[in-house]
Formats: sequence, C-alpha cells, structure tokens
Amino acid sequence: MGNVIKKLVIGLVVGGALIGLSRALEFPFVFQMMFFGQAMFGAVVFMLLDAPSVRTMSGMKSVIAIVVFYIVLCTVFVSGASMWPQFDPEDEKGKIAKILAPKRAATEQGKAEELIARTKALDERVKALEVRLKALGADQQVAKETPVGGAPPVVAKAATGDFMKIGEEQWQLHECYNCHKLKGEGGKKRGPELDNIGSYLTAEEIKQKIFNPKSFMAEGFEKEWEKGKMPDKFKDVMEDSDATALATWLSTFKNTSVNTPKPIKKL
Amino acid sequence: MKTWQRSLVAVCALLVLFGGVASAQVSDPPSVEFSYTGNRTAVWIVAQLHTLFGAFILGAPIFMVVSEWLGYRKQDIRYDRLAKEVTKVTVILFSMTALTGGLFIFVLLATYPQFTTWFINQFYLVFAVIYPLLFISGTIVLYMYFYMWDAWKGEKKGRHIALGVLLNLICMITMFVINGPTSFMNTPPKAEGISPQEFLLAASLWDKIVNVSWLPLSLHRIDGNLAFGGFVTGMIAAYMYMGAKSQEERAYYDWMGFVGNLIGVGAMLFQPFTGLLYAYEMCDYDFSFCPYMMADQLSMFFEMQGAMIGLMFLASNYYVWLSMKRIEGVEKVRMTILAPIVMVAFLFVMMVVMNYYWIPDPMSLAFLIPLVLAPFLGRFIPYTVSARTVIKVGFLMVIVGDAIWLTPHGFVATGANMVAELELPEQWSILGSMPAKLSAIFTLVFVTVVNYVLYNRAIRQGTIIWGKIDFISQFVLIFLAFSSIWTMGLMGAVRSLVRKYFHTYNLVPDFSAESFTPTLSYSAWWITGITVVFFTVVSFAVIVALRPSDSKGRVPEGNPVPARAK
Repeated sequence: MGNVIKKLVIGLVVGGALIGLSRALEFPFVFQMMFFGQAMFGAVVFMLLDAPSVRTMSGMKSVIAIVVFYIVLCTVFVSGASMWPQFDPEDEKGKIAKILAPKRAATEQGKAEELIARTKALDERVKALEVRLKALGADQQVAKETPVGGAPPVVAKAATGDFMKIGEEQWQLHECYNCHKLKGEGGKKRGPELDNIGSYLTAEEIKQKIFNPKSFMAEGFEKEWEKGKMPDKFKDVMEDSDATALATWLSTFKNTSVNTPKPIKKL
Repeated sequence: MKTWQRSLVAVCALLVLFGGVASAQVSDPPSVEFSYTGNRTAVWIVAQLHTLFGAFILGAPIFMVVSEWLGYRKQDIRYDRLAKEVTKVTVILFSMTALTGGLFIFVLLATYPQFTTWFINQFYLVFAVIYPLLFISGTIVLYMYFYMWDAWKGEKKGRHIALGVLLNLICMITMFVINGPTSFMNTPPKAEGISPQEFLLAASLWDKIVNVSWLPLSLHRIDGNLAFGGFVTGMIAAYMYMGAKSQEERAYYDWMGFVGNLIGVGAMLFQPFTGLLYAYEMCDYDFSFCPYMMADQLSMFFEMQGAMIGLMFLASNYYVWLSMKRIEGVEKVRMTILAPIVMVAFLFVMMVVMNYYWIPDPMSLAFLIPLVLAPFLGRFIPYTVSARTVIKVGFLMVIVGDAIWLTPHGFVATGANMVAELELPEQWSILGSMPAKLSAIFTLVFVTVVNYVLYNRAIRQGTIIWGKIDFISQFVLIFLAFSSIWTMGLMGAVRSLVRKYFHTYNLVPDFSAESFTPTLSYSAWWITGITVVFFTVVSFAVIVALRPSDSKGRVPEGNPVPARAK
C-alpha cells in the first residue's frame, strides 16, 4: 500500500508541476490535462513495477481470469479510441457525392439510376395531380391519363449563373486548403499561399497548373516541385468546367499585401 | 480436427475461390445488401479475418523452421517441441485461412460484383492460377512437414529442415504475389502526362504487381507477420502455462513464452521503420495521402496507433523486468552510467539534431551514432549503475517518448475544425512535428534495445529459474498478442481507407453510400470484434492441438537450468 501511495503522490506532484508549467507556457487547457494524464499514467506504470508478485492460478480460476482480462482489454481499447476527437462522416458524404456525381452519371448504372429517378419523380407528380383532381371530383378521367415524358430532369445541372461559387466549392471539395493558404485559412506551408495568385497568372494558366502541376514552379518551392508534391490527379478527378471555375475564382485573388511566391513557367 | 476434415475445409474454400473467379466472368451480376453491417463492413470483417489468419500462417513457418534448426544445432529438444507445437496450431489455422479466403471472395462478389469482376480480370492469372497453385502446394508441403516430423529425425533431420525452408519459400512467394493486387488498389501504376486508365490499358501483369507500394508493403508485412507469429506463440505459451499441471510443464511454457516474446519484440523493433518507409512511398506516390492520414480524417487513427505502440513497448519492457526477477544473481549485473544518461538525453538531442539535419544526413549521424553506442562502451567508464536503475530510467523515457508521440497538433479530427483553444501554441508546434515523432519512435526502440542487451547480460551472468516467473507475466504475453493484432487491424483499416472514395485509387470510384471515412470509434468496435473472433478461433485451435493429453509421456525439461549452459 505504501508503494501505491508514494507513487500516487509523486504522480500528482509531477502532474501538478506539468499543469503549472504548461499553463505558464500558454498551452491550451486540453493539453494541460493531457500532460497531467500522462504523469498519472506514469505513476501507474511505476506502481506496477514495484507491485508484489501475483500468485500462480490454474484450472477454472485462470480461465475466468483470462476471460475477464479480455473483457477489460476490449473495453479499454474501444473506449480509448472513442475518447479521441471523432471525424464526422457527414462532413464528407456531401463532398464525395458531388465529386463523384459526373463520374457516376457517365456509367451505365448512373444512366439507369437517373432514369429511375426521373420515373420516380414523374410518378410522384402524377400522384400529386391525382390528389388535386380527386379534390376537384375528376378522378375517373385522371386514372386513364398517363403522362409521358416532358418532365424536367431531377439531377439538375449546376446553376451556370454562379460560376465563382462553383469555383469556391471546388476549392473545398478537393481540399486544396490542406496545402495552400488562402484568406488566412489552411496551408501548413506545404504549398504556396495563393492570395495574390491572380496578379501572376491568368485563369487559363492556373487551370494549366491544376491539370499539370509541373507546368509552373513557385519560387522557393523547388524541392516540392522536383518531388512532384502537388498531385497530378486533378485532370482525372475533376470535370473540365469545374477546373475552369476553380481557376477563374482563384484568378480573382489579387491581394498584393500577401507574399504569394512568383510562379515560373516550366512547360 | 482430423486431416481429412481439414482437407475438406481447404478443398471447399478452394472451390469457392474457383467458383468466385468463374462467377466474376458473368457480366453485371446484381449486388446484395448486408443488413446491419452494410456491405463495406461485411467485406472489412472477412478481409481482416483472412489477413489475420494469413499473417499467422505466413509468419509462423519462419518461426517454426528457425526453432527446429536451433534445436538441431544446440541439441536442445525444447526448440524442437516448440516448433512442433506451433506447427500443430498452424495446420489448423491453414484451413481457416483457406476458408476465410474463399468467404472473402464470395462476399466481395456478392457486395461489389462489378468492381470484383473488373479486379479479378486485372489479375486473372494471379487469382485463377498462381495463388491457388501456391496455396495448394503450401498446404501439401505443410502437411508433409507436419507428418514427417517423427519419420525424419536424427540423421534425416536436415531433410526435414529443408522441407521447412521450402515451406517458407512458398509462403513468402504467396505473400509477395497477393501483395500485388492489394497494393495495386492503393497505388496503381501511373506515368506523368498519361491518364491512369490509358496507362492501365498498356500495363502488363508485372507492372500492376510491382507498383510503388508493393515492396514497402511486403517488407512491412514480413516484419509484421514475424512479430505477430512471435507474440501469438507467446500467447499460446501463456495459455499452456496457465493450464500446466506440473512444475516441469510450467518451466517449459515459461521458456516458450520467453522465446516467443523475444522473436516478437525483435521483429517489432523494425516495424516503425518499415511502416515509415511504406507511408513515405505512399506520400511520394500522391502527396494528398499524407495530410489525409496525418492531419485530417485519419489523424486520430494515428494517435490511437501511437497509444497502442507505446503500450506494446511498455509491455515488452515490463516482461523483461518480470523476467529479470527470476534470474538468480541479477543484482550483480551492472551497466555504465552512460546508459541512463544517454537514455534521457537521446530524445531531446535527436529532436534538436533532426530540426537541422534529417536522417541519414552525415551530420545527423555524426551526432547520433556516438550517442547510441555510448551505453555499450561500458568497459571504459568506471562508474556503473544497477540493472534495475537502468530499466527504471528506460520506463520513464518510454512514457515521455510516448507522451511526445501522442501530442497532436490539435485536439480536432480534421485541420478544418481547428480552433486556438484546441491547438498547440505556435512556439511549441515542434512537439507535433515529424522530427519530434521520429525522435519519440527512435527513443522507444533505443530504450528497448538497451533493456534487452542488459537482459542478455543478466542471462549470461546469472541463472534463470524457469517456471518461477511472476504469474502476471502471462497476462503481459496475452496483452502483447492481443494489442499487436488490434494494431494490425487498425493500420489495415488505415491502409484501406487511404483510398478514400475509390475501390482502386483514381481508377475505380466507389459509388456506394458507404465510401466515406468512418469514425475511429466505429472502426475500433469492429477491429475489437474481429480480434475477439480471431482470438476465439486461435484459442480453440490451441486447445484442440495442444490439449494436455498430448503432452503425456514427454521427457521433462530440466529445472532450474544454469542460464550459461543454454
């Protein structure tokens, strides 16, 4: 018992010191708690090191001990994993559906699904009309009328009026912010900051860079250019019109106060 | 399970495989919907189970033949018995691998018929000819290896060992072959300026197999399978130790646990490095993999991985600690005072050095190599400390190292949700950087190596009392096996999820509603469930293969045995 109390006290003292130190160094509260938790975990480890030996078990006792041990392990692993911040799949589902929509539409299955969706929509419209006509007392005639064609497609094409919005949406969908900083957000210095890209490149040139990352090299990013850090997949995963929208949207960024590195034509 | 029953299971599984390949030739078959789990999770369960059984049957033969060879060379029958017992369990699990493999193809065909058809057509020769042939020949050689054990002993032992080497060769080729389609799904071959579809049309089967992540994945899997084989052997030993009726049996299974753990830990030490190489090649193929894994959707999977690996290193060092307690004369074992000093300094020195010079830059090596070698140059330093002190300092540094490994850039699942209250302060962002993470990994490995060197010294200088180990050590062995399998499941999930919304990256999109990244919690539930199923089957196999009646009439092992004599 003395061993446990001694280690517990040391753990609390070290944990308290870590909280004080990390607070003084302006670590957020959650980090202070993490450091405290690690100090307490350390105390438990050292308690185990000096713990008295466990007596040998056999027969049913050992079987029960193993089963209980497995239950404890499963609980600790599942709850441990659940304690970390969880990514919300809902954030991604909409994005994926939008990215894959043109590819899906191009497949046989996609075409069939579009037809089914159209048929369903037509069916619903007919039902709605039936209800309205029933209310007017004309259901006998309606039952014989079957509307054919002419319904607007359910999968509407993206509104052409808001081209810039599509461009911005593409920025989000393809998570360009993971590598490029724009409007003070994202980046992590993996790729150049783009707030002044419009002063250097036209929309057509930006599109060329998106589709062929080797076409331009940003000054100071020679290593990244050499290694081909910017994925060359966008020509395969983006629709031409979407890339044009993204490039056009990016070309409107002409904030000269931001030090966007100068792109050098390579190909 | 008798031989004919096992053979029947294997034949059925192969029939399913052949049937699956044939069925894949039917155009546009309809898909089925798995209620409750959903299609993706259904595939996940059978694929993971198949991978776990496969990992064991590919890793264990390395272990078996090395053990048999050691027994022959040292004329120590315990090694031979260990090899034979692991072989018995492997024979049963071979059937399970075939069964889950057949089930895997069946579930794939049922859930993703179009993709499976396309995929099998890409690797038709592999799935229809090479893989089944390798599997059949592997099964035949394994049965021969098992049933010739008693016939080929004495002067014919060399012949038997050669058979074991042949078995390993077949298993190794099988793994390399099947890693082709597996790695292809993540990194299909490509070339600059050509679309992946166009490139694929011109690519040969060899081009598809030898894609950029094929070799790193294979290296990581060889290493992982060996560690896995070692830890599962440790677990088998723990079960048998707990069920042992006599002190002789306990002494033998204590020794078996020691050997299994030694192999497991030895292979585990290389895992972070082969894993890093694999991740590096993936990021080099497409840099968007990197933020997806390390900073966004999968970043918390890597936090959990850090926690698991930290726990495994702690457990393996704890096993050393417990093992040392049963060595008579351990109190006389000492080590240079440089050992604890370097253990403490190593993490921080490496963090600073790696901020300026990346490994293997000669300047970084100039700093780090003398530091790493310092604890082993004991004879030149007159000041020494006890083994107990060195190991305790080691534990402290494993805890500190893991704390650094676990420190994230921010407590958010994706960079997009980052807020100041959850983010590392700018001036301390080094704690979340790659140099810090690498230094932490190197520290865990370094401390463990020092502890095992010390352990080896203690074995040479003292006397091990086999069978007298603290009973809690058996739970450490079980923990190591369970954790290594769980971690394997976690990283397997990462490997599959990194393809994002593609069945085959950039080539075949996954249009199903389940192509999103699941939460870590959801994944942990399934990984735990799969691990439990695997453990239940292995436990059953151990009970069936090594039940106490089998060990009757065995020659008792000496106990205690002077450690120096082994």
